[in-house]
Amino acid sequence: MSFFPEFRISGSALTAEKTRLDVIAGNLANMNTTRTPEGGPYKRRTVVFSEDLAASRSRRAIVTPFVPSSATGGAYRGQGVRVDQILADHRDPMMVYDPEHPDAGEDGYVLYPNVELAKEMTDMITAQRSYEANVTAVQTAKSIYTKALEIGR
Amino acid sequence: MFFLHDETTGRLIKGLDAAALRQQVTAHNLANLNTPNFNRSDVSFEDELMRARQQADTPLARTHEKHFPITPGPEINPTIKTDTTTTRRIDGNNVDIEREMLNLVSNQLRYNTYVQRLNGRFDNWRYVINEGRR
Repeated sequence: MSFFPEFRISGSALTAEKTRLDVIAGNLANMNTTRTPEGGPYKRRTVVFSEDLAASRSRRAIVTPFVPSSATGGAYRGQGVRVDQILADHRDPMMVYDPEHPDAGEDGYVLYPNVELAKEMTDMITAQRSYEANVTAVQTAKSIYTKALEIGR
Repeated sequence: MFFLHDETTGRLIKGLDAAALRQQVTAHNLANLNTPNFNRSDVSFEDELMRARQQADTPLARTHEKHFPITPGPEINPTIKTDTTTTRRIDGNNVDIEREMLNLVSNQLRYNTYVQRLNGRFDNWRYVINEGRR
């Protein structure tokens, strides 16, 4: 359904930013996880976004009664954003000396996840602000459509 | 010239198209706030129209000096321009959130203005039609 493309564009961003928040929450929750199914400490995960473009001349290209494609020489291809990948951060784990720990190595060091608290917190704020910006875009689109209903009244 | 297809109405409708498209493009820019190597786009219409209006100073020939001088209006359509010349962040993304939010606000006001002026045109015609009936 592409009758109101702005909603879909901003909606895709809301989904993407929410996914990012989920991943950050996962990183924070596993800050001290030393055991994982694949062995070793938890690895920090990052989200990679990519621009969502409709293939030119495809049927996915936005068709809307509000912007005739003749006005722009072809339909606008921007369709928002999508989560391209969720990647594991393969940087070295943090080493903490704690011989009492059951997962300590022979040298007495425990491998802790490579999650940096400050980085996760700043990423979280960025994701939150981006989410808010896109909510504002949805509200603006809504008020524009509402205003369009007043034409000829 | 049919009364619904006069120059002013045509321009207003194009302005509405441009504003609707700009909303879409701005939403796309905001959606890609955190996409690496994304370049922002913009819709240019009003500035182009203004520039074209200033250049179009050749009036149509008149057969009587009391006829209204008509300057043929240039045909301007909204165009999407991608800004590839600026880089703001280390990840190659050049979306400026403040700028996009201001675009949203000013675009909304613009849209409202066009709707209001279009309704003004309709009111004028309604007035003419109703007065003619008396």
